[in-house]
Amino acid sequence: MSGFESIVGIDPWTALFTFLNMIITFLILKKFLFVPVKKMIDSRQKEIDDLYSDANDSKEKAEEMLVDYKKKIENYRQEGDEIIKNATTRGEKREQEIISKANAQAEAIISKAHEDVMQEKKKVLNEVKNEISDIAIEIAEKVIEKEIDEEKHKSLVEEFINNIGDEK
Amino acid sequence: MNGPKIYFQIGPVSITQTTVSSFFVMIVLCVLALFLGKGLKKRHGKRQVIVEKLVSMLYGLVEDTMGKHNSYWTPYIGALMMSSLFGSLIGMTGIFRSATADLSTTLTWALMTSVLVWACNIKQSGVRGWLKGFSEPIKVMLPMNIISEIAQPISMAFRHFGNIMGGSVLTSIVYTGLAGISTMVLGNLSRSPIAVPLILLAIGIIVFFVGIKKVKLSLKIIGSAVVILGVFSLLEMFDILSGVPILTLGLPGVLSLYFDIFSGCVQALVFSLLTMVYVGNACPPPESDSN
Repeated sequence: MSGFESIVGIDPWTALFTFLNMIITFLILKKFLFVPVKKMIDSRQKEIDDLYSDANDSKEKAEEMLVDYKKKIENYRQEGDEIIKNATTRGEKREQEIISKANAQAEAIISKAHEDVMQEKKKVLNEVKNEISDIAIEIAEKVIEKEIDEEKHKSLVEEFINNIGDEK
Repeated sequence: MNGPKIYFQIGPVSITQTTVSSFFVMIVLCVLALFLGKGLKKRHGKRQVIVEKLVSMLYGLVEDTMGKHNSYWTPYIGALMMSSLFGSLIGMTGIFRSATADLSTTLTWALMTSVLVWACNIKQSGVRGWLKGFSEPIKVMLPMNIISEIAQPISMAFRHFGNIMGGSVLTSIVYTGLAGISTMVLGNLSRSPIAVPLILLAIGIIVFFVGIKKVKLSLKIIGSAVVILGVFSLLEMFDILSGVPILTLGLPGVLSLYFDIFSGCVQALVFSLLTMVYVGNACPPPESDSN
């Protein structure tokens, strides 16, 4: 029995089938497409959000740590500066001590050397005096060829030389 | 122009073209859903990217129109929109008749929308509240409210049905008309002296080459149309290929672009948008959310 429906007409059976088809389509699309895809999108979104919040947390922590470490480093630097300053002042003090000690020692050495030299000079002068007096006596003996009291002579000469030395 | 053809009847149940297309659309959609929805992975491939894009677009549309709290309506709206779209476009296959060019289909969908609206209203304020809502804001509005409630599905159904049906009616009218005109023109040309088609051919070729030289698409099209006309009138003259309705060559395609594709898409969108608006109005946001 083939024929045509009217152009603007409603066939209840067609309507029923349409209704059922719509329901079936809706259920299948919902079950197999929309819900799983939406779930997937949401879970991915959640994962991304988690990742981002984790990253943010880590970043904040890192920044905190950075500030902390900077502070610590500043502290250490100050400590180091203090230590160096202390060491420097101590070193300078020590230096002064050493230098003054060395100066004192040097002075002592110099004065001792001076004394030695003076003593040597005296000794040499005495020797020279003796020799000169001897020579003078000899010369005088030869010149006057007259034996005089050696002792007296010697004292005369010595006196003379001493006078010379004093004048010198 | 006829309504949907009745293939056969099982008792009182008549199986029409609409029934067949509607079943076919359902099967296509279900297969598509099963194919697109399977093997979803967190790290998605190309197919899944497209699917997710479409699904999230639909969710976005529904949430924009109905509000975030109504996002669970998306599967129904999606099913409605896809059924409507495929039901309209299926008419272009030539095998099936558009399911939406049958008032039974669109009226069913419109009634489903109305029932959903009523159900939402009843859920919201109870049967009495729903009935009381008809007499608001004043008692005088009662008949008008009832009429608008009845008119709503009818207008929705007729809008969709009329657009698709009217499109196909118009397309077939244009087809028949153009076929008639072309047999008339070709008949006249074949009875005229042989010079006429030759001159037509020559003019067509000249126009075509001028079009090529000046790079003008319109001249090319006109030229080739005139050439085709000349060729076919020559063929008609020598009885080689007689009765070819050549004027139906290009124009109906352009019309079909509008009436079948554009109109089908727009009506699917309009129908689902209206459903969204009506149902969305019936399901206002929960009290805690409002303000």
